[in-house]
Amino acid sequence: MALSKDELKAAILKKAETAPKPQLYIKDFYACDPDAKPREIKNVANDLVKEGKLMFWSSGSTTMYAMKSRIKDEEGTSGVN
Amino acid sequence: MAKHETPLLDELEKGPWPSFVTDIKRQAEKKPECWDILGQLELSYVEKITHWKHGGIVGVFGYGGGIVGRYSDLPKRFPGVEHFHTVRLAQPASKYYSTKHLRDLCDLWEKYGSGMTNMHGSTGDMVMLGCRTEALEPFFYEMTHNLNQDLGGSGSNLRTPANCIGSSRCEWSCYDTEEACHQLTMHYQDEIHRPAFPYKFKFKFSGCPNDCVAAIARSDVAVIGTWRGNIRIDQAAVKEYVAGNIPSNGGAHAGRDWGKFDIQKEVINLCPTNCMWMEGGELKIDDSECTRCMHCLNVMPRALRPGAEQGATICVGAKAPILDGAQFATLIVPFMKVSADNEFEELIEFIEKIWDWWMEEGKNRERCGETMQRLGLPTFIKVMGLDPLPQHIKEPRSNPYVFWQEEEVPGGFDRDVEEFRARHAA
Amino acid sequence: MAYDPANPMVDRISDIGPRYYAEFHPPVIAANKGKWLWHEITQPGVLVHKSETGDECWTVRVGAARLISIELIREMCDIADKHCEGFFRFTTRNNVEFMVDSKAKVQPLLDDLKSRGNKFPVGGTGAGVTNIVHTQGWVHCHTPATDASGVVKAVMDELFDYFTSMTLPAQVRIALACCLNMCGAVHASDIAILGVHRKPPMIDHKRITGVCELPLAISACPLGAVKPAKAMVDGVEVKTVQVNAERCMFCGNCYTMCPAMPLADPDGDGIAILVGGKVSNSRSAPKFSKLVIPFLPNTPPRWPETVAAVKGILEAYAKDAHKYERVGEWAERIGWEKFFEKCDIPFTIKSIDDYRLAYDTWRTTTQFKYTSHIK
Repeated sequence: MALSKDELKAAILKKAETAPKPQLYIKDFYACDPDAKPREIKNVANDLVKEGKLMFWSSGSTTMYAMKSRIKDEEGTSGVN
Repeated sequence: MAKHETPLLDELEKGPWPSFVTDIKRQAEKKPECWDILGQLELSYVEKITHWKHGGIVGVFGYGGGIVGRYSDLPKRFPGVEHFHTVRLAQPASKYYSTKHLRDLCDLWEKYGSGMTNMHGSTGDMVMLGCRTEALEPFFYEMTHNLNQDLGGSGSNLRTPANCIGSSRCEWSCYDTEEACHQLTMHYQDEIHRPAFPYKFKFKFSGCPNDCVAAIARSDVAVIGTWRGNIRIDQAAVKEYVAGNIPSNGGAHAGRDWGKFDIQKEVINLCPTNCMWMEGGELKIDDSECTRCMHCLNVMPRALRPGAEQGATICVGAKAPILDGAQFATLIVPFMKVSADNEFEELIEFIEKIWDWWMEEGKNRERCGETMQRLGLPTFIKVMGLDPLPQHIKEPRSNPYVFWQEEEVPGGFDRDVEEFRARHAA
Repeated sequence: MAYDPANPMVDRISDIGPRYYAEFHPPVIAANKGKWLWHEITQPGVLVHKSETGDECWTVRVGAARLISIELIREMCDIADKHCEGFFRFTTRNNVEFMVDSKAKVQPLLDDLKSRGNKFPVGGTGAGVTNIVHTQGWVHCHTPATDASGVVKAVMDELFDYFTSMTLPAQVRIALACCLNMCGAVHASDIAILGVHRKPPMIDHKRITGVCELPLAISACPLGAVKPAKAMVDGVEVKTVQVNAERCMFCGNCYTMCPAMPLADPDGDGIAILVGGKVSNSRSAPKFSKLVIPFLPNTPPRWPETVAAVKGILEAYAKDAHKYERVGEWAERIGWEKFFEKCDIPFTIKSIDDYRLAYDTWRTTTQFKYTSHIK
């Protein structure tokens, strides 16, 4: 049984808050609802960015998600463009 | 007045090729921070090492791509390049511009950035080099509001798609590359601006197998124009070529005396499938043997044209070498109609099928072609719901290690060893 | 209305994409799209396209640096306003194309371009050397093993006559990437100039905890050379990584994922030369570029060793290849052993593959040519 959009949002936020490392790949959120398609999870995670609850943590080559409060420094990893 | 001595860079003002050093100096007269580009670069020339720091997280709000952070590691010495972020702008298909749009962009970049650019970056974007963090949002605001212009992609996003010049100025283009590129770019704005994938994903659109945007070498989905049926031949023009009245290869070899044009040697003998011959003064082609390599069309553009039934070959999974070595894209769909009439529906459906699979199966920072290699082309063909074709391979496998499925073998895999031993002594 | 920093989301516009290309077509292009019959290069850098309507589009192709200023773009705009009804375009190889709708307008355009010093060299067509596609180098990148713009300028100065003429057996595509990431996709070029590192990364134990996710750095290594480790920093034990230098192939992927593992070095870094790649499907299938010179030193400002190497390969090819033959097709026809001999490039063990799928490149036949390599 797939989660509702609000339930999925809550599950993603919980994961972002409690995961051992602050930066998460989109794939790390797939487990929040094994029944949802990856693109649905991606869309909900991106909605959370629009709402200001998550931030993109982009290195140039790779983009991850994070809770703003868990990111210490604006410098981070970067990569090939 | 130069802010730094740059004796090494000054050496690059000599010579016949346009000098980027002279150009940066010219820009520095208006934008003094450009002196610090030269100063820091001169230091790199002395020390033979870069002075740019590793990345940094910058962007405009709500976008997970389009801006790449860049900071000097000597900000006190070169304050003009303390922040020097890259801003990628979505280029129009085929890279035609009105001077009005370019002048507007130049004015905006003069206001908010360093004035230096790349026209264009390797992926295809217009690249604006050198913006301070605090200037990013106002730049973006004015660009979207006043110039109707958006950012391109970076990060784990769909990267800004690119196309060859296509039928806008080329007789060989087998579909409308610029319309395909534009429509798909617009269709996938969300995927370009926000991360969606395990890693980057690229589309490129070439109109014919000459592949002028290098789609087969650089894109996860390469849409390369081709045709079915017969090459259209103008026998009168063939005679003109044979008589030497039209320069071969569109005049591309005019700088050296290669002797009189010899259709046997230059066209027929270089055909990779040997499917052409002369008969009664006419050029004959056995089109059923033709692999549409373009050589004969390239050599005699006035005499030969692509067949009238046109579409594209779709190849999947190219990438640069990091990490397991470079890959060219693998042929997956030999011929697909690519048409604006149905809004590229078939292509879009194909792409989304790849994404659904790759988003599920791809490891973090694994390109689609690497996932294909890890899980195998047979798996990919099954996932895409396609029939296996001999066109998918160069040659059949030479090892015998087929992964037979249990249901393919009569009686299945479960057997009784006791019953076996009753008949076969150990 | 202007941007209001206090309310960044008010009135925000996003996801509008690029401008529609058709707005930017010059009139002769807009009128003849899809109707072109044939083209011809009438002189180096000048092409005519003939439409079934009878219209002609005359294109003048001009080389440019990839790194250009808005002052230069404005000057291009001036030229296009004066001659081309306010439109022009860029090619995928950083050339600029000015288009006019009649032959009579070509010479005034050429004269104008010529009057502007060496800023707008006309050429880059047909069987010659066109513009070099390249990356950022020391001008704007954090991982380079060499500069890009400077090397390209030095090489193009030396090959300038090949840009403005069409005397080679076929087109020669040169590309430069300033590190092994190959942002410039040099892996399918006739001649590729590639920045390479030769020293393993250093580990900045003091910074690694703050800036680096250790599992990402460890998994970044394709050869498993990066392992978890512990180190003492100011009397405190910290978790960090170590690098098995014997297994390091200097790809820099760990530095991409972890800023505390820098590997650039003034003596370690330099340039490798690869040859024989192609993208087009014409005659033979696309080919990868192959490594023929493993290392040349970084010698700014004009990289004489690299310039000489590229020119040497180009001239050996120009002398020996058949008409239409690309560099890679030539090398395969004569055999790679002959390639090294004819280009006077010493063959080294570094050109023998020992990475994945290496066996595909080893010779498994008795067919070979006797060259000076066999004593």
